[in-house]
Amino acid sequence: MEFMYATQEQFDRLVDFKGAREYHLSKSRVKKDKRMSLGEAIDRFVQDGDILAETGFSYVRSPIQAYFEIIRQGKKNMVSIGSPMSNTSYLMTANCVYAIHLSYIGVEMRGNDKNFARNIKTKKAEILSIWSHGSMALGFKAAQLGAPFIGSKQLLGSDMLKYNPYVKVIENPVGLDKSEPVVIIPALFPDVCIIHVQKADRYGNAVIEGPAINDIALAAACRKVIITAEKIVPEMSIRELGNACIPFWYVDAVVELPYGALPGCCPGCYYWAREWWEWLVRIGTPKEENVQDVMRYWIYETKDQFEFIEKLGGIRFINHATRLMEAAQANIDDSLVSFDYQEVIPKWD
Amino acid sequence: MSVAPANPLEMLAYVVSKNIQDKQIVYVGTGLPMVGAILAKKTHAPNITLVYESGGQDPIEGSMPWSVADPVTWRKSPITMEMPLSFAQAANGYVDVAFQGAAQIDMYGNLNTHIIGNDFLNPKARLTGSGGGNDLISLTENTIIVGLQTPEKFPVKLDFITSPGHLYGGNSRKEAGLLGNGPVAVITQLGVYDFEPVTKRMRIKSLHPGITIEIAQACTGFELLVPEGEIPVTETPPLDVLEILRNEVDTQKMFISFPPQ
Repeated sequence: MEFMYATQEQFDRLVDFKGAREYHLSKSRVKKDKRMSLGEAIDRFVQDGDILAETGFSYVRSPIQAYFEIIRQGKKNMVSIGSPMSNTSYLMTANCVYAIHLSYIGVEMRGNDKNFARNIKTKKAEILSIWSHGSMALGFKAAQLGAPFIGSKQLLGSDMLKYNPYVKVIENPVGLDKSEPVVIIPALFPDVCIIHVQKADRYGNAVIEGPAINDIALAAACRKVIITAEKIVPEMSIRELGNACIPFWYVDAVVELPYGALPGCCPGCYYWAREWWEWLVRIGTPKEENVQDVMRYWIYETKDQFEFIEKLGGIRFINHATRLMEAAQANIDDSLVSFDYQEVIPKWD
Repeated sequence: MSVAPANPLEMLAYVVSKNIQDKQIVYVGTGLPMVGAILAKKTHAPNITLVYESGGQDPIEGSMPWSVADPVTWRKSPITMEMPLSFAQAANGYVDVAFQGAAQIDMYGNLNTHIIGNDFLNPKARLTGSGGGNDLISLTENTIIVGLQTPEKFPVKLDFITSPGHLYGGNSRKEAGLLGNGPVAVITQLGVYDFEPVTKRMRIKSLHPGITIEIAQACTGFELLVPEGEIPVTETPPLDVLEILRNEVDTQKMFISFPPQ
């Protein structure tokens, strides 16, 4: 394979089953207090050149404030993977990510991400492979299961096969019908993921509320795992329910980071800053200078999530976002709660 | 009080709802399919179960989701699934119908959500990518395609096959090893289409009131098959259904205001 930026080693490392195993074997087993600041966690465990896995569902329980910290620390030469992966767009603009294993970038009904398209067009970043959500998810799942690959029925007949050097169509060698085509998807082992959860203990045992998407698999697959949590709870409160989905020995760092998923939503906690996303996609992304403005105001000139909240409207924003999430989950009487808002619709687009 | 007649998007949502049968398990994405599915549940198909790729399963009724992973999609869900498991149940035969939109649709119901233009590295426009689109149409028993019909969106040849429909017609879908029947219907602002059983080419099934074969053809880049005999007129929404659509389903008019926002 010929790449513009990514190295062959970076490309191969994603499917290096034995390399990931060796790395996991080398990790400390000590059950110790792993709490640290967000800055320290990113500094120590996200390295230049890492394959970074996007977690959550783009803007649902995704560690967006941690991605902002990656940008502020100026990490470089990273490769991004995830399904979906809408946050990679601005990581590219910030020169943190130069290559991507692509499944989906966009903000659903709000539109295509023109910033991502521009980053590829201007060769600021390159696409290494193309996936559907389900096929990539199976790659992470295979890794979690300790299986070198999985046979799947996705991707067959699709042009994605031409742009995905990792997968291979074969005839099912163990099927009743030996001529049945299946797609072999290798187990995928990114270097690092940051998983935002509602609660974790100081050792890294973590509980996810709402859809886990790929995060349970990614916690098992990735060489390094950072947990950012809305709340750090006593270990015994997790033991009582026995519902952790990520065990402490996978975890390298635990960061107490309330509101860490903003401007996305966090189940059980707060709803999206919906206007922020519409602003980003409809006004921010169409022009490079607009993206730079958005990033300067919301990332570089914002120290942490609390300053971010101040810019979103402070306590009024948080109260409203909390109320909307509780209403959407039917945890409060929602009969008088309105989801109406002023959609951001630029006149010139 | 009089009720304004259905606008084209409301008509689309209604036809989507009518293509859902009671007691089915339905895979819903964002946008009009979601509106149609919720409308179906509130009208003729109260016993359907809605499942979402992001993991929400069988939520209780709520407001219109802002995203396919909106908390409303798992509002009091008895279970949420990890994403690969949510897709897996379609492969395992637990999902009856999935809905999909696309930037481009060809005569075999193949879909493109990757690029416009024929150079993958330097396209005229780069779209979102597959997301769960390829998975749903590859794995689910039946798929229904929903979209606005124009010659550009219904071209002779796709710029990229993201999601396989009937591929190159005939038995090519089955030979490729894909599961299910693939696309069984296409619903647009002009009419409803099915696929001729042998060639698997798109064929007019019914046209919305006031739409002629000529209009439908003029809005299509490839040649539409026309069935023998008189072409049925698509049923329009009764006023009580329209009122439910406007007042109980998409109350914020996120997806059914016309012209679209």
